[in-house]
Amino acid sequence: MIHNQTMIEQRPAPSSSVGAVAWLRTNLFNGPINTIFTLIGLYILYLLVVPTVQWAFINADWVGTTRDDCSREGACWVFINARLSQFIYGLYPSSEIWRANIVFAMFFSLIGWLAIPRLPFKRWVAIFALIVFPVISFVLLYGGYFDLPKVPTHRWGGLMLTLLLATVGMVGALPIGIVLALGRRSNMPIVKSFCVVFIEFWRGVPLITVLFMASVMLPLFLPSDMSVDRLVRALIGLTLFQSAYMAEVIRGGLQAIPKGQEEAAAALGMTYWKRMGLIILPQALKMMIPGIVNTFISLFKDTTLVMIIGLFDLLGIVQAALADSRWLGFSLEGYVFAAFMFWVFCFSMSRYSQYLERKLHTGHKR
Amino acid sequence: MTQAATNNPGNSTSDLMVEMRGVNKWYGDFHVLRDIYLEVKRGERIVICGPSGSGKSTMIRCINHLEEHQKGEIVVGGVPLTQDVKRIEQIRRSVGMVFQHFNLFPHLTVLENCCIAPMWVQKKPRKEAEAMAMQYLERVRIAEQAKKYPGQLSGGQQQRVAIARSLCMHPDVMLFDEPTSALDPEMIKEVLDVMVELAEEGMTMLCVTHEMGFAKTVADRVIFMDQGQIIEENAPEPFFNNPQSERTQLFLSQILGH
Repeated sequence: MIHNQTMIEQRPAPSSSVGAVAWLRTNLFNGPINTIFTLIGLYILYLLVVPTVQWAFINADWVGTTRDDCSREGACWVFINARLSQFIYGLYPSSEIWRANIVFAMFFSLIGWLAIPRLPFKRWVAIFALIVFPVISFVLLYGGYFDLPKVPTHRWGGLMLTLLLATVGMVGALPIGIVLALGRRSNMPIVKSFCVVFIEFWRGVPLITVLFMASVMLPLFLPSDMSVDRLVRALIGLTLFQSAYMAEVIRGGLQAIPKGQEEAAAALGMTYWKRMGLIILPQALKMMIPGIVNTFISLFKDTTLVMIIGLFDLLGIVQAALADSRWLGFSLEGYVFAAFMFWVFCFSMSRYSQYLERKLHTGHKR
Repeated sequence: MTQAATNNPGNSTSDLMVEMRGVNKWYGDFHVLRDIYLEVKRGERIVICGPSGSGKSTMIRCINHLEEHQKGEIVVGGVPLTQDVKRIEQIRRSVGMVFQHFNLFPHLTVLENCCIAPMWVQKKPRKEAEAMAMQYLERVRIAEQAKKYPGQLSGGQQQRVAIARSLCMHPDVMLFDEPTSALDPEMIKEVLDVMVELAEEGMTMLCVTHEMGFAKTVADRVIFMDQGQIIEENAPEPFFNNPQSERTQLFLSQILGH
């Protein structure tokens, strides 16, 4: 039996179900209970937002050089302003700050270049960023070459140190994590047990312990004429610690790839490394972007722990500045600033990962 | 072939593509393959059938060492299969395999799926690999989908791509592991048509399938397996019309009975 002689034309949805008013009605004011919750929510929001905005912006003092320039009714951003160069470069000598600035500029432009899809030569930029850029950065920051005066690492600090720790940690932890994850799934008993022991050891130890050990214990075991820079020790500790976490995240991704994928790759005659590098890892890493970025973010924030071994990262240097007798009583501003800086970086990573997920979503798994 | 000959001196079986001699395999205590003897000549088309769990898939998966056998000897294209990884990879390059669930690489386009092994395993330049891939995609009548991802295709289309992907390696033997079992009924034909054409071109094929029509049209020999053994082996006509063993008769009556 045929019901319709002609197909029904496609029609727009009724106007009562689209638009801002409809959205408000369906989401915020549908029914008395929902309306009450909405109103309570708005009131709480009002209680929180208004004083915050007043403190941080309206009553805040922005310009000046000493604490006397602050009215104390709102935030005293003068403090941050006066200390900004320290917060960014630590105790880096002010006559040499241009060197750090060049590194900063290169760092952000490289990241920008790699992150913006339209820009060409991605492969070469990536190779440059991974091989040439670290060398240039080291030469510039540490000096000792080309008549650049040496700046020992204990003078490095602030945001510069935080970014350095985080970047080296991420760039180091990801490949080590991949190798460990593959090793843990390996059929070779020695490789496998090494990876299991390594991962479980580093995962089972708090990062603070790792850093203490790196700074206190390690020198005891090394020959007395051999000394490893404290920053390098912290970097190694941080990287190995995070690579164990990374390994477990990636192992989760590897396990989610159906066995048939590796079989198909094997049936085509691919070697183990080609199967992994061309077929399994691209899929697993894509699937694991949220987990990997999560690890990156926690790594970024964990860098603050280097404070306890006497390195002054962003938070450490803010805290040191709070103890300055000329600026007593501005700890709130200091912490808000530090928190805001960390938030900006972590939030950017989070957003970029969401963008990546969408972009790489060829999905449609079968 | 020269290397194969040196690997296997004094054996005059050069037109034998696959030889299995007394192959046995266990999963733990479970004896999956029991004394398998099988010889496949170049250009021969063999259909393997049998109840599920009878070891058919396991048997053909042993040929390219996706499964390891514990006893017996397997020789592929004159090259004896050993534990040696290089040897295994050499054999796998000459043996194509089509899976029940296609196993296309979902992160690559159809064209890339076909090119990746020629480019990375056989070191062909991209241009050449792509031209060849397009040729095979043409042959399985799916060239117009080359830029799509596997997830955008129907099951039948995916399986044809999988066949093209194998053919791009110019295999000497093709193994089909229930290639139509995961397909919706209306898609089975398009895959079988491609397989029939392949058979007519003289490809050596070992095919695990329950498509008895396909077996009747193209098979030179039909093999019936049960409980890890080859029970019966015959040309299709006597196999279907006059099965010798009781188990074969029962099996055939079950799958042809309705």
